[in-house]
Amino acid sequence: MRLSRWALIVVVLLVAAVVGVAYGTLRLTPLEVLHGALGTGSATQVVVVRQLRLPRVLLAALVGAGLGASGAALQGATRNGLAEPYLLGVSGGAAVGAVIAVALHAPAAVVPLAGLVGALAAVALSLVVARASGGQGDARVVLMAGVVVGAFANAAIMVALAGVDANAVRGALWWMMGSAADATWGQVRALAVYVAIGVGALLALARAIDLLALGEDAAAGMGVDVARVTLAVYVAGALLAAGTVAAAGLVGFVGLLVPHLARMAGARTHRSIIGAAALGGAALTVLADLVARVAHPPAELPLGAVTAILGVPFFLSRLRRLT
Amino acid sequence: MFFASHTGRVAIALSWSALALLGACRTDAPRAAGAHDDFGDAIASAPTPPHRIVSLNPTTTELLYAIGAGDRLVGRTTWDLYPSQVRDVPDLGPGLRPNVEAVIATRPDLVILYASDDNRDAARRLRAAGIRTVAYRVDRIVDFARVTQALGALTGDTVAARVTVDTVQRTLARVRAATATLQHPAAFWILWENPLLAVGGGSFLNELLTAAGARNVYDSLPGPSPAVSFEDLVRRDPDVVLASPESRRHMLADPRWQALRAVRDGRVLVFDTTIVNGPSARVGASAVSLARLLHPGSI
Repeated sequence: MRLSRWALIVVVLLVAAVVGVAYGTLRLTPLEVLHGALGTGSATQVVVVRQLRLPRVLLAALVGAGLGASGAALQGATRNGLAEPYLLGVSGGAAVGAVIAVALHAPAAVVPLAGLVGALAAVALSLVVARASGGQGDARVVLMAGVVVGAFANAAIMVALAGVDANAVRGALWWMMGSAADATWGQVRALAVYVAIGVGALLALARAIDLLALGEDAAAGMGVDVARVTLAVYVAGALLAAGTVAAAGLVGFVGLLVPHLARMAGARTHRSIIGAAALGGAALTVLADLVARVAHPPAELPLGAVTAILGVPFFLSRLRRLT
Repeated sequence: MFFASHTGRVAIALSWSALALLGACRTDAPRAAGAHDDFGDAIASAPTPPHRIVSLNPTTTELLYAIGAGDRLVGRTTWDLYPSQVRDVPDLGPGLRPNVEAVIATRPDLVILYASDDNRDAARRLRAAGIRTVAYRVDRIVDFARVTQALGALTGDTVAARVTVDTVQRTLARVRAATATLQHPAAFWILWENPLLAVGGGSFLNELLTAAGARNVYDSLPGPSPAVSFEDLVRRDPDVVLASPESRRHMLADPRWQALRAVRDGRVLVFDTTIVNGPSARVGASAVSLARLLHPGSI
């Protein structure tokens, strides 16, 4: 990918971040935002900018980066342009793990780990389902297995929520629709660790994913341990899904959309596709979160609803090309 | 079609509240026969007062105890926790989309539902099973008065119902008089933290706030518990926050809540969490406790 394209993505991300911090339901002038950020404004301005908007924009960016990179690697490793954590049921599995942890009153730090267990279980389950049907090489079968696992995850969450009081159900549904509204610096720090490890691992696997994309036999012929690389990609993808789900719930279609945009921008090797999808996913999610915040005052829209409205038409156009 | 049934319901609500208001100067004929419930359905007449009552709404359950009919209850919802004797009544599960078979199994001669559209189907099925079923919406203080009197007519004790309503309304009038001339602070009443839910204009808690001498910053939102964004709350800049003990603890520990002037100034008041379920016979006492919280020494 040309340097100018990289520069463009970085500029879009920076502009999205600045707009995200500067703009919100509470109208602040650019000068007030600056004072808030520097800690020299009024107490309200300082808290709104430093404790509400900055962590929120950073959390949305990290969620988008994790989902974008995860989607790019999963699409490459499965040779399936429709693969992404949400559609493969990985995010749903993470949500089940997280809901169970919350229902058992586990400490907050354990929730992403429970999500990781759920995400890995979902990966294993969809691979087993696909293998049992004899179609693990068929992109459509893997995808369908993922959709089934996702539906099962939703059902499991509904069972876990039976008998919980109405406001708690409303809270859980809200979380399942995805939202960065509750962002804290602690969450930003925790997710940064997950994203750094997950995206770092995927970048390290990028060369092997390039070879996998040629086909399993071709990759094996060039000395790639296909099973190990595929597993490593799934584990890293599950790690990213678990981290993002614990931080912001289920945010779909970012992992589908941005890898395609990265390829359209000229990214060819998986090192650049994953890198560009991470940056592009961050920009897209920050902008989607801004829409979620200001589109329907005084309420907020769920972030996952905004990304789905963007992503579903794109998914349908891709589906036509695939079949 | 929608319009017809909607205006019909409004007319019924208006006539009921008119009855409640005019109650003092009207001789009391039994209203159960020929009357309608809040679904607009005619209430079947019965030769004798009911002896096995299922109440699937915490507020009507409380009202039945208040008018002395609590010992006839044979079923309640999971959320009916007041008064304490109610825990001995069998728990039949949720009050919305109830388990109709579990209700029928208690062999009730009267079932009282919450008049939400979710419950229309249950009402139809229970009536089809030959069980006298009524549905009431008890969301506002005016609902309290008319539903209490309707329950009195159904259970055959209109005098107890009238005494309950009059006692509550006298207390409410006393609270309103005590706070009328005081300055009404702008208040935010938090119901849930994530998503952030506020008491809205459609809740009896909004009416309680007004009676107790405060102005709800979200009284223009029609729902009972609308979701609001944190920045919008900061923009509305309430003078005082009403929170449960748990919410208050979270607020004081979370640096984000320092964006609110009321939190920085230490104006986070803990309300009595047992009053939020619905406008029951305790609504007068709730107004007193809220007025004491907002305006110490006023009443």
